[in-house]
Amino acid sequence: MATKRLRGATLGRRLIAGAVAAATIGALAACSSGGGSTDGEPSGKLQLLVSSSDATDAGFRAINEAFEKQYPKVDVVFSTVSNDNYPATKSSRLTAGNLDLFVVKGLMETPSYAKDAATDDARLAKAGGLVDLTGESFLKQYTPTLLDTQAIDGKQYAVPTGVSYYTGVFYNKKIFADNGLTIPTTWSEFTAVVDALKAKGVTPFGMGGKDSWPAGLPMLASVTANYPTLADKQQLAKDLWTNKAKLTDPTEVKVLKQTEYVLQNSQEGAAGADYTSIPSGFAAGDFAMTVDGTWDQPTIDAAVAKKFDYGYFPFPGSDNAADNALLNGKTELQLAVPTSAKNKTAALAWLKFFSDKKNYELFLQKSGFSSAQPGISTSAFLQSIGDYTKSYEPAWDQVWFANNKAGQDAVFPFNYPALSPLGSATPEQAAEAAQKAWSAAG
Amino acid sequence: MTESFPFPRRTPVRVTFGLGMLLLGIFGFVPAVGVLIASLTDLRGLPGLPINFVGLQNYIDFFSPAKWADSANALRNTIIFAVVSTALQIVVALAVAVLLNRRLRGRNFYRAVVFMPTILGVTVTGLVWSLIFNVSGGPAASLLGLFGGHSAFFGDPKLALALVILVQVWMVLGVSVIIFLSGLQAVPEELNEAAEIDGASGWQRFRSITIPLLAPSITANVLLGIVNALQSYQLIYVLSGPNNRSTQVLSLLVYVQGFGGASGTTLSQSQGYAAAVSMVQFFLVAIVSIIALLILRRREARL
Repeated sequence: MATKRLRGATLGRRLIAGAVAAATIGALAACSSGGGSTDGEPSGKLQLLVSSSDATDAGFRAINEAFEKQYPKVDVVFSTVSNDNYPATKSSRLTAGNLDLFVVKGLMETPSYAKDAATDDARLAKAGGLVDLTGESFLKQYTPTLLDTQAIDGKQYAVPTGVSYYTGVFYNKKIFADNGLTIPTTWSEFTAVVDALKAKGVTPFGMGGKDSWPAGLPMLASVTANYPTLADKQQLAKDLWTNKAKLTDPTEVKVLKQTEYVLQNSQEGAAGADYTSIPSGFAAGDFAMTVDGTWDQPTIDAAVAKKFDYGYFPFPGSDNAADNALLNGKTELQLAVPTSAKNKTAALAWLKFFSDKKNYELFLQKSGFSSAQPGISTSAFLQSIGDYTKSYEPAWDQVWFANNKAGQDAVFPFNYPALSPLGSATPEQAAEAAQKAWSAAG
Repeated sequence: MTESFPFPRRTPVRVTFGLGMLLLGIFGFVPAVGVLIASLTDLRGLPGLPINFVGLQNYIDFFSPAKWADSANALRNTIIFAVVSTALQIVVALAVAVLLNRRLRGRNFYRAVVFMPTILGVTVTGLVWSLIFNVSGGPAASLLGLFGGHSAFFGDPKLALALVILVQVWMVLGVSVIIFLSGLQAVPEELNEAAEIDGASGWQRFRSITIPLLAPSITANVLLGIVNALQSYQLIYVLSGPNNRSTQVLSLLVYVQGFGGASGTTLSQSQGYAAAVSMVQFFLVAIVSIIALLILRRREARL
């Protein structure tokens, strides 16, 4: 088939083609949405972005509804995104400049030995990307020690929405009672409980290993027991960064062994199970225990629906009961206002409204968080773990700063994802791989 | 035949081609150059943070001993994923296409069924197969349970990649079948009839007539399959999550590094490093595609 050769295009035609193309692209370009009030009475749209969980979403929705009743001119646009997708969503919406209030993570001062390992949000605060809330009156309602842990250069950039504990074990009181078992307070008592359950044909643990991070909870719990105080954990982090300690040292391997113990005594196919399937399995009595955070208590409570009683005890990783006495936790979902916010007035009004005792109690009731304010009444469940939380201790992941230069084996740095059945390594091999990735990073 | 050029005037050609080139330039070439530049910086995900030029440091990091276990694992998974899924896709698609090219009742219905997964898209496909391979009460687990077996499926490091490949083939099979069907319909019936009269068996006709005449379709399918598989990460993300080492391919590594898929860590988003990984991936795709194209073209000419 013959084709005609095109003549050389004239400049005019090219310009017309270019203009048409430019006009098309212009038409395709999206318009940005309008902002809101600038001063005085809050009004307009308030863009709120959080990382999702059923319980906290319910808490935020309740607050939003109450807020819109008090400020009818404000329309709260509430976006909730899964944890894995949250950083990408946050990044793109900050870049687009359509966020007024959002959840920041890891807002804490970086220790001098790990100065290149600052978190994204700490960098953002230092670079002037977050509104300085230090002088805001509503911050005075929060527990000062919690505020101290999130200060950057002595300034406050976020409101802590609560505290969660996640180095404990939910247990089915009925299964324990039926088998004559009591809460274990040492590692040998714990293994005896597991053996007794297995002997009766009861699966000891439920685990949502497909999402990977839930399998990290026994690791964090084991670190809590083996490095009980904040000073112990800080020393370990410093020693690892300065290469005085190795990930192949006996206590570090012990942490992985205890993690593996939980993984290997979990339900069939635990490595492929979703985290969200665990509360229903626990409620159905498929297993007697699950290592989980108190943030999941409202979901577990709804699933159990009063069919049986359940409780929560600290993971007893040490043979000295005193080392297992406290739960470790973290400051939950810290809310910050970006300096690029179009509706700062509404954002600050929302934070003030949220911090009000009555509204904050409503949020805690729905979210299941422990209070970040003193003198707030808490749920019966949180009262039941009061002895384990009488003194706040941050968990290992609140102390440890990962090295961006090191490989994935050294991220946590206890290499639980390599352990069988998530991976195929023994605790010793996993520790070896972690140490190799860590020391190679220098 | 000199007037057979499809457009009677040249202006529409210039406008449409110009528009195409412009869109390709703005949304393809400019971002590609942007990625190359980003790979030489310590660009992070959040706006307002300082950006520094770091030269080749990101590339050095990718091949450094600290990161090499991750890089080698991702490279190995990428190659296995691309080669096995493409080979399987070609063989199965060819078999299905030959079957659907015969005169059989309800042929169009079967063709529609085979093509349907392509329309579903990655997320729906991922969710469907996640449910099928759900460890507690999913159909696959129940079936395995009948024989007294059990498996963690996507959570099993020895099985996860194979299952992901299976789902990938299921998802993209339709397009390959359509390409093969169009190729098969261009094979003149007389050739087959003549060969049949000469006493050629079904296999001999397939081997000596169908395959040589299908060569351009095979080339297209292999190239599309390899390029698609080398770049694919969405399905793996939905099926086995972003941090599963046994299924982590290069493009997933780009996603995790660039957009912070590792929750529960203090790791910052390192889009500069992610850009460097994606440049490595670009060269891998380019090299594999060019080699495959050369081999297939040479083979086409020989056939």
